[in-house]
Amino acid sequence: MRRKIQTRLLIVALIGLHLAVLFAGFIAPYNPETQNRELPYAPPVRVHFNYSGKVHFRPFIYAETTGQGTLDEDFSRPYPVHWFVRGDDHQLLGLFNSNLHLFGVDAPAQMFLLGTDSFGRDELSRLLYGGQISLAAGLLAAFVTLLAGAIIGTISGYYGNWIDEALMASAELFLALPWLYFLLVVRALLPLHVSATMSFMLLIAVIAVIGWARPARLIRGVVLSARTRDYVSAARGFGASDFYLLRRHVLPQILGVLLTQAALLVPQYVAAEVTLSFFGLGVSEPTPSWGNMLSVLQQYSVLRSCSWLFAPAVALVITSVIYWLLADTIRYSLKSS
Amino acid sequence: MNYLLRRFLRALLLMIGVSTLCFLLSELAPGTYFEDLRLNPQISQQTIATLNARYGLEQPIALRYGRWLEAAARGDFGYSIAYSTPVASLLWTRAGNTLLLTITAMLLTWILAVPVGVLTGSSRRLDKITAVASSLLISIPEIVIAVALLVVAVHTRMLPVGAMQSLGSEDLSTLARVKDILLHIALPTAILVLIGLPIIAQHIRSSVVEVLEAPYIRAARGLGIGPVRILFRHVLPVAANPAISLFGFSLAALVSGSLLVEVITGWPGLGPLILEATLSRDLFVVVGGAMLSAVFMIGGNFVADLLLLVSDPRIRTGAQD
Amino acid sequence: MKPSAHFTAVVCLFGASYLPVIATAQATSSSEEVDRLEDVVGQYGGRLVVGERAEPKTLNPVTATDSVSREVIGRINADLIEINRASQQTESALAKSWTISKDGRTFVLHLRKGIRFSDGHPFDADDVLFSFAVYLDESVGSPQRDLLIIDSKPPTITKLDQYTVQFVLPRPYAAAERLFDGFAILPKHILEKPFHDGHFDQVWSLNAPPDQIVGLGPFRVKRYIPGQSLVLERNPYYWKIDHDNRRLPYLNELAFLFVGGEDSQLMRFEAGETDVISRLSAENYALLQRDASHLNLELTDLGPSLEYNFLVFNLNDLRGKKLDSIARKQAWFANLNFRRAISAAIDRDSLVRLVYSSRGQALWGNVGPGNRRWVDAAIPHPQHSLDAARQLLKSAGFSWDKAGQLQDASGAPVEFTIISSSSNAQRMKMATLVQDDLSHLGIAVHVVPLEFRAMLDRVFQSFDYDAAIMGLGGGDADPNPEMNVWLSNGSSHLWHLGETQPATDWEHEIDQLMQQQMVTLNYQKRKQLYDHVQEIIAANLPFIFLATPDVLVGAKKDVGNFHPALLDPYTLWDADQLYIRGIEKAAIR
Repeated sequence: MRRKIQTRLLIVALIGLHLAVLFAGFIAPYNPETQNRELPYAPPVRVHFNYSGKVHFRPFIYAETTGQGTLDEDFSRPYPVHWFVRGDDHQLLGLFNSNLHLFGVDAPAQMFLLGTDSFGRDELSRLLYGGQISLAAGLLAAFVTLLAGAIIGTISGYYGNWIDEALMASAELFLALPWLYFLLVVRALLPLHVSATMSFMLLIAVIAVIGWARPARLIRGVVLSARTRDYVSAARGFGASDFYLLRRHVLPQILGVLLTQAALLVPQYVAAEVTLSFFGLGVSEPTPSWGNMLSVLQQYSVLRSCSWLFAPAVALVITSVIYWLLADTIRYSLKSS
Repeated sequence: MNYLLRRFLRALLLMIGVSTLCFLLSELAPGTYFEDLRLNPQISQQTIATLNARYGLEQPIALRYGRWLEAAARGDFGYSIAYSTPVASLLWTRAGNTLLLTITAMLLTWILAVPVGVLTGSSRRLDKITAVASSLLISIPEIVIAVALLVVAVHTRMLPVGAMQSLGSEDLSTLARVKDILLHIALPTAILVLIGLPIIAQHIRSSVVEVLEAPYIRAARGLGIGPVRILFRHVLPVAANPAISLFGFSLAALVSGSLLVEVITGWPGLGPLILEATLSRDLFVVVGGAMLSAVFMIGGNFVADLLLLVSDPRIRTGAQD
Repeated sequence: MKPSAHFTAVVCLFGASYLPVIATAQATSSSEEVDRLEDVVGQYGGRLVVGERAEPKTLNPVTATDSVSREVIGRINADLIEINRASQQTESALAKSWTISKDGRTFVLHLRKGIRFSDGHPFDADDVLFSFAVYLDESVGSPQRDLLIIDSKPPTITKLDQYTVQFVLPRPYAAAERLFDGFAILPKHILEKPFHDGHFDQVWSLNAPPDQIVGLGPFRVKRYIPGQSLVLERNPYYWKIDHDNRRLPYLNELAFLFVGGEDSQLMRFEAGETDVISRLSAENYALLQRDASHLNLELTDLGPSLEYNFLVFNLNDLRGKKLDSIARKQAWFANLNFRRAISAAIDRDSLVRLVYSSRGQALWGNVGPGNRRWVDAAIPHPQHSLDAARQLLKSAGFSWDKAGQLQDASGAPVEFTIISSSSNAQRMKMATLVQDDLSHLGIAVHVVPLEFRAMLDRVFQSFDYDAAIMGLGGGDADPNPEMNVWLSNGSSHLWHLGETQPATDWEHEIDQLMQQQMVTLNYQKRKQLYDHVQEIIAANLPFIFLATPDVLVGAKKDVGNFHPALLDPYTLWDADQLYIRGIEKAAIR
């Protein structure tokens, strides 16, 4: 029973997360690319409820802060938070234009719930929009990589012989590849400006090319032992086809490994974008993604002074944990079925 | 014997393949070693051309590869353009430092991971307690863990950061020197263990869980066989399968897996050397490093395959059933 | 077994508290012509620890090209004439005096007598002749050779007597004496053989035995631990003395730790493991400032540096290369009003504020306010103005469509890519700011970070780029080192490389002016010529100048005689004068 509630909670959390990211345009108060050059590295705004005794949402605007992390609030005028306000134009789900936002305040105050980055851009908006690309890329990349790895690993482990040798040799080749050079070559072969969708696809493709070898070897190992189980031999004696054997007996065995790997790889791949941007293969400015927002954290001064810029890391961890726990639950439920 | 010969041939082919790829990729990748001299207005193009010619950087890649191959067969892996020293000796010292770190970390990781994995797999209660910590550690990207520990170490000043020995440590007694190295190795080892432990433990745990739910285990329990015996005789050998591949991975990555940690903590291993060589296009160092990684990887996979054979005698790779 | 091991341990620990084999300064003899530094006082002892970004690659002064190697090499070698980094003027070094002929071509240098190398071997004119023979040798291929080649001819160097050397340049060269800084004088008795054997480029690699690495600098090599540290010890024969006639340097040891990038250096400096840090970024400087008092640090903002960052458009000749899309865009880039509009649209003030936390200066020319001797204060500094930019674009034939997107006369939308090196966070930030600025003009700019050498390849080889943000300068205050940037056939003439003829009239004019200033010996006349060059550059905008950072350095308070300067090496140029305060009082037995 407790498992059922836990599963439901996880699924709700996951759906909530994805919806928030999907509807970034609506939930985010501002355009993620708008720079507020007067307010770089501004800490999160303080939301007040108490104004001379009355209880209401009231954030205050703060005076210009250009240092790290000092919150100066201009107490001269309170700016109440309104719901369903009109603001910057955005595209909802890429389909229709709108300028409705979940919440906001009147100009010239700005409601930076998660502070701003080095250009004064709203971190919350960037987080939500960034999640679109990063989550999609991370999930897709993990999916493609694992699919490739699973197929190759299964074929390799199941058929054995020279197929196994050839496939595992090529896996080893990929593992030994100096992938930094590979990234340089990919960047050099591409046109300088790659459209947003192309760069997204590129991210996934590069990650999959570099990443398939490891899961393939893992799965091959499992398939090797699963193949020689007695019940498999028995089934084969009964005339079962390869495909049937694979689906019925081998696949369930590797599912556990696949799920574990999936939950491991997604955060790795999102963070891998940091390295890819170094070579110019990541999502480029000013478009936000959790990867390029994380690369700012490589600077020590930012680490020390601007804790709100950890938001993408926290979001990534939370997402990964939810996926991980969900994968776990799925594994349990599969076992008991 | 046949098997060994096949593996050896395969290894040789792989080494040739890796070196070919390295040369090919380096040719396709833009930029050359002396390119950054172009930014210096005081250096003429003539000089850069001379330097390029001296190191043969203008020659066709096939020619350079052929020469390198021939020399490599004799054990001469070329010179580093940057250091003007033979690649082999350059890699040798650094590889030693890296191995010191990775072997320590690997031993520690596996010594901790196996019991953790088995215990959390078999005991539901323990599993719940560690679930949060383990899922957090898995979800946090490597680079974040590394940097976080680094910042903590710097702040608390508990552990020295960077290098393998303190300045002037060569004047200390052997005991003091060992202690010095241990202090220095603590931080990068801790990072590597934190990164690697949860993954291995999780894999072991999940396969232990799978096995425990199998009918024959329940039968064994029903027959009254004690849990310890079940664990060691029935569960572990089967659950060992993915763990063995992982162990192979650990071995395979002995030389290459610690690059990030070495660069971040300043450990004087292969990582920073190869990284800088790649970025500055010091070709022979990069190829040498790739060869070294390949050797370890082949070795690691070989050991893993052997262990697979040993642990699960039903597997006979290449045999028909 | 145990007691003797214990005893050994105790002895070793005891011994560890002594710095073994400290090279103590030799007493000066009357026949030695030392260089007495009037204003310098200090205390003997101690070790200064400096963090470096990476290992040095070699200790060979003739072949070294990377900055870390040069920094170390500069501490173990000496030159004939040195540039005092603080005053930016030349001063006597191994040459105690020199005369220049009227026509500026002949230099007669009088060397100090009685000076010895770090191994005790005497120094004389033969070493000078040998050194320059090596530098000028074509088969050795030293990058420094180019500095001595004027008019495609090398200087003629002759030995007049044991302590006098004559240099004759093919033609007069302004500030020629500045050339001598950076040419380390090599020991003939050690290096003659490898030179004649043709193995010179393998000499003095990091693995060379320390007693073979001999020089005239304040320090000599003590120990190298691969990947970790390089420790220098005092050169007991160093030829400079202080106010009290005590031989320099004060420090027993100077240690270089290979720490890593700027953030690692900062962490180690904060932790107290290194004693000086140079070229901090503004954010890191602010971080240190907060903790400076209780960490006992002294932080200095030296003002704007000599480097300049700029946006450059690709105006290379693209015929024969399959770069048609870029070639089409060059019609915009080549239009002066287009470039002036871009320059007007860039908000330099917020650039300095956001990129350098206000510790920097906006630039409108290649010589910034940090170069007091050569800056032309009369160059116009047009303020940030979108209106002015729009006017300029209109006059250049551009217009805006209904969506506000800029288009050229043929209706093509104006968009281009800016590349920059991904390892330089400041320039990447500038690119994003410029992108945002230009979006207000309706120009779609894409920012592409590239790995450093990949970017260089595009800028220098393939020309496959639209625009780039780069930085130059910072080497020396004098205009001559920059010749190759401004001469139309120069190797660093970034916007249009490989010109056999000047492509425009103003480039032709710059060519003439630069050639002229190169042979003009009088400073005032040279300044006039160079001012004119700066004005032409500012008017024609081959580079759109952006900003320059301040030079920010730090040191522990107990580092004495710390006089950081605007020229490289910022903190170690006077390493022979640095000392640790309180060290002689806390004397070790």
